[in-house]
Amino acid sequence: MGATFVVTLREAFEAALLLGIVYAYLDRVGARAQYHWVTLGGALGLMASVAAGVAVSLVSGPLLDLGPDLVAGGVMFAAVGLLTWHGWWMRQHARAVQGQLQHRLDEARATQRLWIVGLIAFTGVFREGAETVLFLWGLASQTNVTGWSGVAGGVLGVVAAAGLGWGIFRGGRRLSLSRFFTGTSLLLLLVAAGLFSSGIGRLVGLGFLPDTEPLWDASWLLRDDSLVGSFLAGLAGYRARPSLLEVIGYLTYLLVAGWLLFGPRRPTPIAPPASSRADALS
Amino acid sequence: MTRWLAVAVLMGLSLVRAAGVAGAAEEIALTIENNRFSPEEIKVKAGVPFVLVVTNKDKSPEEFESKELRLEKVVPGGKTLKIQVRALKPGTYPFVGDYHAQTAKGRIVAE
Repeated sequence: MGATFVVTLREAFEAALLLGIVYAYLDRVGARAQYHWVTLGGALGLMASVAAGVAVSLVSGPLLDLGPDLVAGGVMFAAVGLLTWHGWWMRQHARAVQGQLQHRLDEARATQRLWIVGLIAFTGVFREGAETVLFLWGLASQTNVTGWSGVAGGVLGVVAAAGLGWGIFRGGRRLSLSRFFTGTSLLLLLVAAGLFSSGIGRLVGLGFLPDTEPLWDASWLLRDDSLVGSFLAGLAGYRARPSLLEVIGYLTYLLVAGWLLFGPRRPTPIAPPASSRADALS
Repeated sequence: MTRWLAVAVLMGLSLVRAAGVAGAAEEIALTIENNRFSPEEIKVKAGVPFVLVVTNKDKSPEEFESKELRLEKVVPGGKTLKIQVRALKPGTYPFVGDYHAQTAKGRIVAE
């Protein structure tokens, strides 16, 4: 039971983290009315996970040999793109939403881009969702006592992950607005950098990218298959023996996205808006 | 949707072929039964890509996972699938069945 608990907790952790952040984000920009995008995205992600689990069990041949890898790789890079976009957008927003609540609401509505948080919820759930579904399904198919205690552990793992997501949501609401934006931007930056380098690793594993030497070996300190190591892998892309290409990918992403999210701001235009100038002239 | 998936798979396959991983690579059988791998040690020649033909004789799905090889692959119950493995440098590459990691363990030794 303990083993299955850890497996599902680990798999569902990233999804819970992302859901907690985007819900909190909508709350902080005063767009609670838009929660349904996240809920919808998460629900669709869950349905897609079940569908993918069923599909994997039905197909065979090259579709089974490579299909899941291509889907998984595609979802990883899509998630990197979405998280980067969200971070960049949050930064633009952060300037605008420091004002009063009504102003925040207007700003959030005006952009009309809130469905993107729904997409984040979708990819967050779908990424490890199919694996979790298959895992639980496999446990449930072993219809004996150990099977059911395993299922109980697995379900508890998902519930515990959801609890963590809830904690992040509650915690996110308590922070000051600027701390919230900075904190979540940093967190998402790490998650996305980890996803990016893991995506590169997968492409290397599949033979699409060349194999490079591991740059260092930290397995004496923290092994990939240890509990902490596997959580850090989900959170920030930890690898005990990262290859040169993965390290380059990780750092390049951090530099580019970090500059995008935390780099020098463009100076605000000094010229007053056209309407007020017209007022002054009249 | 299916058509796009097929196109994506074909593109992927041709890429793999272009990377020289596929072709006349040696096929090595790996069986999962009672949540264990057999054989648990696979010896391969270093520097030569190969194909793992994984058969899951159990009813429940298993996930072949090797952090070292950067490979993870769900093998549904009762199915056989192929995993292309790139040319490896000499060394030992452990793998596990992630869904039953306590029992399903093995390693590839490239020499």
